[in-house]
Amino acid sequence: MVLLEVTDLTKDFGGVAANSHISLDIEKGEIIGLIGPNGAGKTTLFNCIVGYHRPDQGKIRFKDKNITGFKPFKTNREGIGRTFQIMSISGDLTVLENVMIGSFCRTSDRRIAREEASEILNVVELEKDAEAYMTELPIATQKRVGLAMALATRPELLMLDEVASGLNPKETEEMVALLQRIHKAKGLTVFVIEHVMEVVMPISQRIIVLDGGQKIAEGKPRDIASDERVIKAYLGEKYAKGRKNRGSI
Amino acid sequence: MQIRTLKDALSFGDLPAVERIGFILFITFCFIFPWIIKGGFAQAVMIQFLIFCLYGLGWNLIGGYGGQVALGQAKNVGMSAYTVALLMVRWNIPFWVCTPLGVIVATIESFVLGYFLFRLRGHYFAIATIAVSLVWQQLFINWNFIGGARGIELPLRETPNFIYMQFDSPVYYHYFAFVLVMIAILYMNWFRKSRLGYQLRAITANEDVAESLGINAHWVKVKAYCITGIFAGMGGAFYTVYYSYIDPFSVMHLELSIMIALMTMIGGAGSMWGPIIGAMILIPLDRYLGAWLGGRGILGVDFMIYALMVMIISAYEPRGIWGIIEKARRKR
Repeated sequence: MVLLEVTDLTKDFGGVAANSHISLDIEKGEIIGLIGPNGAGKTTLFNCIVGYHRPDQGKIRFKDKNITGFKPFKTNREGIGRTFQIMSISGDLTVLENVMIGSFCRTSDRRIAREEASEILNVVELEKDAEAYMTELPIATQKRVGLAMALATRPELLMLDEVASGLNPKETEEMVALLQRIHKAKGLTVFVIEHVMEVVMPISQRIIVLDGGQKIAEGKPRDIASDERVIKAYLGEKYAKGRKNRGSI
Repeated sequence: MQIRTLKDALSFGDLPAVERIGFILFITFCFIFPWIIKGGFAQAVMIQFLIFCLYGLGWNLIGGYGGQVALGQAKNVGMSAYTVALLMVRWNIPFWVCTPLGVIVATIESFVLGYFLFRLRGHYFAIATIAVSLVWQQLFINWNFIGGARGIELPLRETPNFIYMQFDSPVYYHYFAFVLVMIAILYMNWFRKSRLGYQLRAITANEDVAESLGINAHWVKVKAYCITGIFAGMGGAFYTVYYSYIDPFSVMHLELSIMIALMTMIGGAGSMWGPIIGAMILIPLDRYLGAWLGGRGILGVDFMIYALMVMIISAYEPRGIWGIIEKARRKR
């Protein structure tokens, strides 16, 4: 069953086409990676789907419902949860309270919200930090809280914007393991933006590659890694630089 | 559900013991004040302190928890005060009927204004609220039906009257204001634990993140603004019967809006006790210093002192006196 269907999506920022004619399908229960170099239009695509930007052209369907141009709080109520690259949340509230804000979108009862929030904190293994304040926590924990907040809204599709950025290799590994566990336990569909190929490769069942606002490739991780155009777009710069340096020596 | 709401409002159990003791002391102080201090001026200052507590507690919703610098409380106070005064003077309607109507008028005004003005963010919103209050004040000054610049005076009744809230001793007004403040405090105690409270704080921290968590930021802000309007409306209705006289300079003035905001910010916006602390410092300072300096012909020095306080506090801790206390507590 197709959960999310994007057809011919185009978004223009004053003449710069951040996304042009992008189409993609996401099946229920999949983990999809979205990769591409800086400025490829990954975050713009996310923002269009979630509703921070209104696409200039194209259609977005979620669970067979047209959600094009829905505001973020509406897409969230439809069942799309997302995290941000920088999830700056209130420093005045504890971790538990922050997650409760997510739970409050499904219930208005404080006790139920509290219970659900602590359950989710167990899932992301933050139960001992529940009473800590956000500003006291290291970045890896903050990212987990962001994930917990998005999970608390009970999404069917979880969209993660660079959950591994700023993490060290060990933390990254833990994050990947956590994502796989959540995916398995809840049967969630996960759509991940990742800058780093090494992170997205092991978890994704399918990878979509953007470059210069266009979709240049889509397929299994192994195929993507050997795709000519992807290497050019993604690794080309590095290789070119490497060659140049060697040449100058 | 209703019982739970009431329980939440009445339970202060999650607060530290110091705060609970402070709260009890505050209640006791307010309760016995009219018996231990007999001076007319002191009693008047006390009642003003209570009215400002009410305004401040209300403003704290949108200005503190909601983080929106709304500088238009005076017009809500004025709307309600004028509604009550007009109904009482022209049609002799009892105070207890007028007050709900006044509060409703103030709330509707808040709703309409909030619905449109919350399309603006940050400073633009603050400027828009100032502009609207100035327009309202000018309208009221030039509107003859409601007394224009002369204002409205309530007729004096021969005997003290509960129906029209006219008493010969300020003690009655003191207790009435005290009850209003207690209602406001209990409401705030419920509010800070409620869904609306958390949602508002999320919006203040980061509106984009809040929206991604399913919060309709615009609607939540409008709701909070309406509740702020209700508090201002209650204050306005009380003001009318307490002074028996209102004019556009006393209840519609921008200075009143700024005073409310300033007081809450100094005390600590976005905290339960901030507005009360702010009022406790600013109102006696304002009245006593104003009277003392005014008597010596030195005008304007009190404003300089406020300005200095605002500068010191915003430089040292933007969350006001309560912010300083919290910081010290967290360090320990």
